[in-house]
Amino acid sequence: MFNATVLRIRTPAFKITKNCKSKDCHSVLYTIPHGRRFLSTSSCLYGKILPRKKPRVVHEIAGLEPITYADRMHFVPGLAKPRFPPWDRGWKDPSHYTSPKLEDMPLHKDKPCYMFNQRTNALEGVRQALWLSKSVIVKGLPAQILTLAEDPANQIENQDERVQDAIKNSRMWDTTEIRPPRERFCPSLLHRLLHLCAGLQVSRPELAKRILAEKYSLAVTWRRGEDVFQVRGQNGLLLNSMTPVPVLAGEEQIQSTADQALETFYPIAPTIDLQRTHVYQEKNDTGFREGYPYPHAHTLFLMEMGNTPKLFPEQLRAKMVMFTFGNALARAQALYGKEPRVLEKPIVVQSVATNGRLFQFVVFQLNTTDLQSDSGVKNLAWVDEDQPLYEFAKVRPFIKKKVVKIPAGLSGYQPDTFKKFLALYLHGAA
Amino acid sequence: MSVGLLSRALSALCVSRAVSAQVASVSGVSAALTGSRGFMTSACVCQNRSLWKQREKYTVRPIGMKKTGGRDYTGRIVTHGIGGGHKQRYRMIDFQRLRYEPGREDQPIVEKVVEVRYDPCRSADIALVAGGSRKRWIIATETMEAGDIIRSSSAIGRMAVLAKEGDSHPLGALPIGTLVNNLELLPGRGAQYIRAAGTCGVLLRKVNGTAIVQLPSKHQIQVLETCVATVGRVSNVDHNKRIIGKAGRNRWLGIRPSSGHWQRKGGWAGRKIRRLPPIKSFVTAQ
Repeated sequence: MFNATVLRIRTPAFKITKNCKSKDCHSVLYTIPHGRRFLSTSSCLYGKILPRKKPRVVHEIAGLEPITYADRMHFVPGLAKPRFPPWDRGWKDPSHYTSPKLEDMPLHKDKPCYMFNQRTNALEGVRQALWLSKSVIVKGLPAQILTLAEDPANQIENQDERVQDAIKNSRMWDTTEIRPPRERFCPSLLHRLLHLCAGLQVSRPELAKRILAEKYSLAVTWRRGEDVFQVRGQNGLLLNSMTPVPVLAGEEQIQSTADQALETFYPIAPTIDLQRTHVYQEKNDTGFREGYPYPHAHTLFLMEMGNTPKLFPEQLRAKMVMFTFGNALARAQALYGKEPRVLEKPIVVQSVATNGRLFQFVVFQLNTTDLQSDSGVKNLAWVDEDQPLYEFAKVRPFIKKKVVKIPAGLSGYQPDTFKKFLALYLHGAA
Repeated sequence: MSVGLLSRALSALCVSRAVSAQVASVSGVSAALTGSRGFMTSACVCQNRSLWKQREKYTVRPIGMKKTGGRDYTGRIVTHGIGGGHKQRYRMIDFQRLRYEPGREDQPIVEKVVEVRYDPCRSADIALVAGGSRKRWIIATETMEAGDIIRSSSAIGRMAVLAKEGDSHPLGALPIGTLVNNLELLPGRGAQYIRAAGTCGVLLRKVNGTAIVQLPSKHQIQVLETCVATVGRVSNVDHNKRIIGKAGRNRWLGIRPSSGHWQRKGGWAGRKIRRLPPIKSFVTAQ
């Protein structure tokens, strides 16, 4: 660098034209690109990070037109910087698309909408979901489903053995590793259990009137108080059926919900953690076309697949309540229109969520679409939480201080959980 | 520096006169290169050292930080003894307790503590509070726990309020002798004083629309009585009693050893008896 400085000083600028032969110039340019400044390596290592400059304030004087250097086509000190209108390339280039401002979008509305999607991690959990869907919680599963679960006629041959085989298949025999990742064994376990349940089709032909739908997308809009709410987007694996799910709560139970008060959680607002947006479409869509032969949503299965977010159990149950409610409301609005009313035939949607070991069951009954006020008939949600199917499934035993704490293989299998799962599956076909 | 370079260059000129004929062509080319501006086709390399800071919207999610190693924007060391350590993430703290939600300016802010946790960026613990439809991080006070309800108000009544720990009030509303933390210097600017673990200030007296507060350093400052402060002591009281244990733990915290260069102790060492400085006033002259 020092040498270069010397040389630079020795030949002043007027000599350059004399000394510099065009041939030399070319050869040196060829060998030393960019005049010895290797910006690609040096500036990221030693480059200065200059603090952000404040933009210069240019005062505009009304009635005076600033003289710019636009026609000179280069910077001239003392003349103002020209301002050109934004350049339009004249055709639509998707890689250089700039979206309009939010206020200018055609779907922009003054009133904000609060959206619940599958990534929503509601802080208050089920309480918040109950307020949003105007429903009353009942702990445990309804009596009809429990009787279905207890009935030995509803069971598969060698049920416990086959379920244990399914668990071992997905937890142990699936891979040569110690343990498959949760994203792998969770869906595979659920699909194996569903396959076991579908095997009952031989004796029960009603089960043939079912179909599973993946990646369906839901959209429901409703008003609660003064706010607009939506449930949106893909959520899970939906089991559809040709016949509606039988109603679970009788007339008396529905009427008694009018007296129960909704739980509030002051100082936290029910809209916390919901996506607040001004650009939205008030859409109501079950995710299926008009003449779809399996119009009734039966059971919604949620699992941890890697592309879905991981939620804590409380937040997962809130998501189940919201999406069963969304499915039921979309169906009600398709059937009876948007007029808020108390439904003569309530709509029931069930939901099962699993993380590969624990199961959460939710049954939702939509009694009313009049969600604006807190009074009147409310909806019903049965929530059965944290039911383990098994305790441990290990390829190698867990040994501590030379004592086998957890043996190898499947341990702590609980048959009741699968009975509930099967009862929810058979509900409406038994 | 340029003068030095010039003189050196001139001296080199004198020495290398003999060989100047040989290097004439090379020098000409080099000058041609450096004398003309030339045009660069490469784009400027974007720096990403301070990109993580350039965020305007508030979020409660932790943000990945880049370590500075004590260097400033020019790359020079400005603080010695910083470098390495465990990776840390920055959580945006809202130091302005009295930040209203848009549309709710008239009501006092009521919030619920969701979580109290460690923060790598400061000595005090931080608390996640939720109220209305927003969440934010604040500095936790000594007895703050998950599930507590805390309030912030801007009202200065005729009577002093019965102060509860964790609440924040303007200094004018608090009784004399209250322990305060997270003290604002100018109303609405956000807390700047008394934020370290286990510290607290004392509200000494209120004079003529101003309040005089004793800082943890026993200095006294005078601020407007509309400045907001939180009642109580900052959390993590035992921060000064923790045992580092070994040199390596300081390295985990990102603190490097001092240089080890021996220097004779001078006037800085030893006990000094000084008067307290006069009260510093942050009340702007009207």
